[in-house]
Amino acid sequence: MWTINRYPGFWLLPALLPVILMTVYPIGHALWTSLHEVMILFPGEPFVGLRNYERVMSGSYFGVALRNSLVFTLIAAPSVVIIGTLMALFLQRRFLGSQVVRSVVLLPWVLPGAISAVLWVWVFHPSFGFLNGLMLDLGLISSPIGWLTNPRTALGAVIVAHVWTQIPFAVVLMMAALSAINGEVLEAAVIDARSPFQRFRYIVWPEIKSMVVVLLVYNALTAFTSYDIVYAMTGGGPGTATTLLSFQIWRESFSMYDFGAGSAVAFIVVLISALLIVAITKALPSDLFAGSE
Amino acid sequence: MTGRFNGLATFVFAALILLFSGGPVLLSLYGSLVPDRVLLTEGQSLFTEGPNFETYRYVFTGQLPDSYNMESANRAMISDAARQVPQALVNSSVNALASMVLNLILGAPAAFIFARYAFPGKKVSFLYLILSPLVPAVALVTPIYILMQAMNLVGTPIGIILVHTARALPFTVLILSVFFRKIPAEIFEAALLDHCNRFQTFWRVAVPLALPSIGATGLFAFMLSYSEFMFAMLLSGSSSTRPVSVVMAALARNTDVSWSLLNTAIFIAIVPTLILVVLVWRFVVEGLLSGAVKG
Repeated sequence: MWTINRYPGFWLLPALLPVILMTVYPIGHALWTSLHEVMILFPGEPFVGLRNYERVMSGSYFGVALRNSLVFTLIAAPSVVIIGTLMALFLQRRFLGSQVVRSVVLLPWVLPGAISAVLWVWVFHPSFGFLNGLMLDLGLISSPIGWLTNPRTALGAVIVAHVWTQIPFAVVLMMAALSAINGEVLEAAVIDARSPFQRFRYIVWPEIKSMVVVLLVYNALTAFTSYDIVYAMTGGGPGTATTLLSFQIWRESFSMYDFGAGSAVAFIVVLISALLIVAITKALPSDLFAGSE
Repeated sequence: MTGRFNGLATFVFAALILLFSGGPVLLSLYGSLVPDRVLLTEGQSLFTEGPNFETYRYVFTGQLPDSYNMESANRAMISDAARQVPQALVNSSVNALASMVLNLILGAPAAFIFARYAFPGKKVSFLYLILSPLVPAVALVTPIYILMQAMNLVGTPIGIILVHTARALPFTVLILSVFFRKIPAEIFEAALLDHCNRFQTFWRVAVPLALPSIGATGLFAFMLSYSEFMFAMLLSGSSSTRPVSVVMAALARNTDVSWSLLNTAIFIAIVPTLILVVLVWRFVVEGLLSGAVKG
């Protein structure tokens, strides 16, 4: 790595300035709002310190929304990375029709969340859904299951739909990381390492580890702040079975017009996201962040 | 690269992937080709009734499907929003392409510098970039709206493009810097010996070598913009500037709307991006697999 003695603004500012524009003022504004009582109905915006935070955390929905969001993230993010990696490993092979499969894998990516939501509502539909039809035909169930209306299956169903939308991106990046591995190393590995598992563990894994970390962080973030697909599929129901923390931000701000409380929830989300990221990077140390020092 | 691979296992895996990734989209194609009554009636299917293109005709020409012209038909099942889909596709594609190009132009140099050089302020800049997407979009909706209003960009494509570009940039830089780091140092040392300056090293050595990865990253920025909903809804004005994610959400939340029409709209919305993705994807994947990034 070469050293430059002054800050390379010419190279960095084009990327940094738009991000700064879209973050410094908005985040500052949101932070200010979370510390003040900002309600449309009441004039004046007095400073209330951390009272908004106390209020939302003791609210009746907060606990269940936090639990749902954590379950959602802890299942969805690793699933995306594991399934994505397995698919990428598989798609490296050439076989008859491999080009077709590689293109079809991308399909979920081209769909806006609202569309994916409709597709999965249809798959899970109790009266003419594909899944119920299939399971009835196979004799696995005797009567249709309302996947999205049953509190015990709804969260699982929306996780499946979310994972489905996120997999293509994981596959693309993972294939890129896999293909960057030196071919000669792999050939040597075929001779040295006995089982495919050993080859993966000692040769492939070290090479793709930083990409796994990037993907885990990215997916933990997207899952923890996911909004549109779950909202379009269930609206947070049945009851509170799929109510996520991100809904709470929206609900407090735009249904209750309590912007202070909405921003407070948002910063709780930020804090937990940061903890998730630290946990991921601690659990899987890689040169990704060390290299930036 | 490996020896033999069980043919049956390959087939099973490929079939599973096809079913999982493509199944829901095929269902939508199927639903778009049959009227609602076929879906709801036991024993009727595409294969007994034959394909029906009336909903497609409605979206492009405005001529109502025959079954909804009957006396008892529920007129509410046909939503005008479906007719906005073709225009919305154009809007979304323009926004997404602009956001993609901006992301690559603005992000690639930064990613290169982060990957190859040590400089004062590097850690702070990098941390700022990767931590800024932490704040959930929902929390920033109000202040960003205020900001866009101050710049007079509400209701214009430029506002949406700006927000989408800024939201994708941290990821673009992060991903690209991972790729630039993969290029062997010897190549850059050789460039130095050939008296390439920093910009030439970037433009003539790093960019061509990482082109497939840049393509993949560009695709990512494109998709982020194409499918983003919240800011698109907030910042798009009249129906003539509305992107496809907003139009589709309006259709999807309308519980009266006919399944057949909804699926038609979905399928029409998929096609253009599908073409783009197949083109870019082939370039990206073939480039990656032929080892363009290898030393």
